[in-house]
Amino acid sequence: MARKILCVAEKPAIARAVATHLSGGAFRTNPIRGNQYVKNYEFDFNFGGAWGNCSVTMTSVVGHLTGLDFDRQYRGWESCPPGALFEAPVQETVDKDKLPIAENIRNQAKYSKALFIWTDCDREGEHIGSEVRNQAIAGNARIEVKRAKFSNTESAHVRRAALEPVNLDEHQASAVAARIELDLRIGAAFTRLQTLQLQTVVAALKEKVISYGFVVDRYLRVKNFKPETFWGIKVILSREGKKVNFLWKRVHLFDRAVVTMMLERCLLAKQAKVTKVNQKPTSKWRPLPLTTVDLQMMGSRFLRLDSQTIMKVAEGLYTKGFISYPRTETDQFDKAIDLKKLIEKQYPDNAWGQYARELIDGKFRAPRSGRHNDKAHPPIHPVSWVSPNQLNANEKKVYEFVARRFLACCSDDAKGKSTEVEIQYGDEFFHTSGLIVLERNYLDVYVYDKWESSQQLPNFEQGELFEPTEANIFESKTTAPNYLTEPELIGLMDANGIGTDATMAEHIAKIKDREYVAINQRGSGRSSVQEFVPTRLGIALVEGYDNVVDGLPNSVSLSKPFLRKEMELSMVEICSGTKTRQEVVQQSLDMYREVFIHTQRRINMLKNACRKYLVEETAS
Amino acid sequence: MTSPDQIAAQILSTKSLSVSQSWLNAFLASSSTAQRNIPPSAVAKTAIFRLLASDIKESLSKHRSCVLPVNTHDPTIQELRLQGSIPVQVLDIEDIGTSLWSQIEAIERVERGEAIRGREIVRTIAIGEDAEASENNRANNNPANGATASGNSGYGPHRLILEDSAGTMAVGVEMQRIDGIALEKLAIGAKLLLRNPSVARGMVLLTPGSVTLLGGKIEALDKPWREGRKARLLEKTAGIERE
Repeated sequence: MARKILCVAEKPAIARAVATHLSGGAFRTNPIRGNQYVKNYEFDFNFGGAWGNCSVTMTSVVGHLTGLDFDRQYRGWESCPPGALFEAPVQETVDKDKLPIAENIRNQAKYSKALFIWTDCDREGEHIGSEVRNQAIAGNARIEVKRAKFSNTESAHVRRAALEPVNLDEHQASAVAARIELDLRIGAAFTRLQTLQLQTVVAALKEKVISYGFVVDRYLRVKNFKPETFWGIKVILSREGKKVNFLWKRVHLFDRAVVTMMLERCLLAKQAKVTKVNQKPTSKWRPLPLTTVDLQMMGSRFLRLDSQTIMKVAEGLYTKGFISYPRTETDQFDKAIDLKKLIEKQYPDNAWGQYARELIDGKFRAPRSGRHNDKAHPPIHPVSWVSPNQLNANEKKVYEFVARRFLACCSDDAKGKSTEVEIQYGDEFFHTSGLIVLERNYLDVYVYDKWESSQQLPNFEQGELFEPTEANIFESKTTAPNYLTEPELIGLMDANGIGTDATMAEHIAKIKDREYVAINQRGSGRSSVQEFVPTRLGIALVEGYDNVVDGLPNSVSLSKPFLRKEMELSMVEICSGTKTRQEVVQQSLDMYREVFIHTQRRINMLKNACRKYLVEETAS
Repeated sequence: MTSPDQIAAQILSTKSLSVSQSWLNAFLASSSTAQRNIPPSAVAKTAIFRLLASDIKESLSKHRSCVLPVNTHDPTIQELRLQGSIPVQVLDIEDIGTSLWSQIEAIERVERGEAIRGREIVRTIAIGEDAEASENNRANNNPANGATASGNSGYGPHRLILEDSAGTMAVGVEMQRIDGIALEKLAIGAKLLLRNPSVARGMVLLTPGSVTLLGGKIEALDKPWREGRKARLLEKTAGIERE
């Protein structure tokens, strides 16, 4: 057997898992020189097709192989004016600690007919794949390059991917290359400018500031908030031993005299008339298939874990082959996936195995389809069952959530009957409603959703007249919004189109690390949530930056998401092939250069803002 | 040459406005030299256009039949029915369904350029509420949701300060939604015709049946009103704090 195929995965654990599945467990492990984590696994495998039966070396990298940096003469902090970094030449080099890994790939490539890339199937994975390819070609210029398309490390899935190699997606790799270049240039330019000017305040900014901008924005809204009194009308009817509360259609108004006048006109009318009785079947929809953003949001809400921990745990579960790839934007299941087979795998579970059985015995429904499809990965779902005592506490929580969510997706909606009654009293309209839950369906397994029957309404006839038992004015005050919580921040970043799902958790961890936020506990016990309250340092930075760009055309602020959002949109354009990497880099640099020049001119404002807060801090 | 009476009759029949004799004479004097051969209907149109941009204290008749009775704003009267058509002009408009604070925030969003398409910033999201997931929740109008909903839409109801041709002022309350009464649509100095309106506790009740919108604007009042709106709202919230 002369032919050899070199397989390279993104992480050692994936390399080992794939090697195990392809070889059926029979492989030799050889260490490589200079790195204790990366191993070469050797075995034989029949790829079919053009390759046929081959000997295989399966190895891996450890994330990105190369880094981008400025040429040597631009690297010193005071080597050039920070503005020059927008144009300074850059070069890609293999990171020092990755040199042995790159060498291993070059050596192995020499004896191989083809390189088969097994990096994760997402933008970053595509770029890492292109780095691996460059090394392999350096070792063997005639090597054929393919990649495997897979989204979990379940055995049958991996074997199928091995038989159907595809080409590397150059567009996605270029998109990442563009992002890396922009991050380097913009980050370095602003950081150096800031650091050279403000010796006391060193901070890397960019997207951290943006995600952080939301925290500060909310904080200022809370701080500036002033409660206002409002008034409303409440109508009560006692009938058949039940007390029915009618809500005012206007909800409430901020003018007491007007509300008083309106109530008087209700009372003058004496009788109220039932204008609408609406009884209709209603339902609470089963959840959509699970995406990364939803996993992070729901997870930090229900599982009491922060988003970074959730992603780490989920990645562990993926590497061990229990759940599918946890970084996905897709909320629709492909028709080709055998959902019933996946449900059957959950039979052994003590908590939800019985429910899974009932689904297969007739209660199964095709999942709803959301609007997102990243064309790379299916929604997050369990790929095999794992006994809870093989998992640690956090793994148990995350696995349970993924499994329950998956079963809920494959269930029927909860069904109920709602009644709505509208009345006219004087010139004003009021309404009340009741709900009876008839079938719980998915709610039985998805314990995170609540939907309960309300008090039952007495009978009302359309057109009937009655005299309300009570009609009063109530008075209350508007309340300030709450400080931002982690699930809200994730939701806001997603809604504003900043940060890929994969980077969000990192941003959030980073702003916590850098003492830009303090964590507050709101409420107590199980219902408590963590709130983000910005520190003085953080507020100073955001206010400073906002002041700096105040007055710029379109008032682009670094702390606001537009620039970052446009960059994310450009990434998508590179991926779809409508723009080249060069075009995007040039356009983005032009946008940021404008902000930079302005910032440079007004850096004093930033200094003042920082000084103001730091001085107040030491004074208080 | 068109007679003033002819023009006045025309304005009365098309817009139900009794124009003031002296204002009409001044108007005709200023335009007659240049416009001798213009048909009366066209002159009347120009007059109406000018009228809508004028202060009605100068341009309309102060006859008893077309001004507000003096007891209009008496809060001790439970209900009063006014007779006939009474023209008034708008001096102020307020959204009383929305808190001052959310109105200020809305103005600031516009100031920051976030009202432009593509530059909107999402600031609040409902966690755990799949927006489309439950019809029931949507229909269920709990006060908290209602507050945010009306906070964003700015659909009033609105409270207006109205002034008649004699300079008598009255508060008007939009009891039912009236198309054209909105902060962005109704200019200061716009003219309304009240038709047999009811008055309760000193407030004129405005409904689609009792109000005809004539439109118009007094530029000298509208511009400063708009420019000063945020400052006035801020001042009011500060007032609340002191109480």
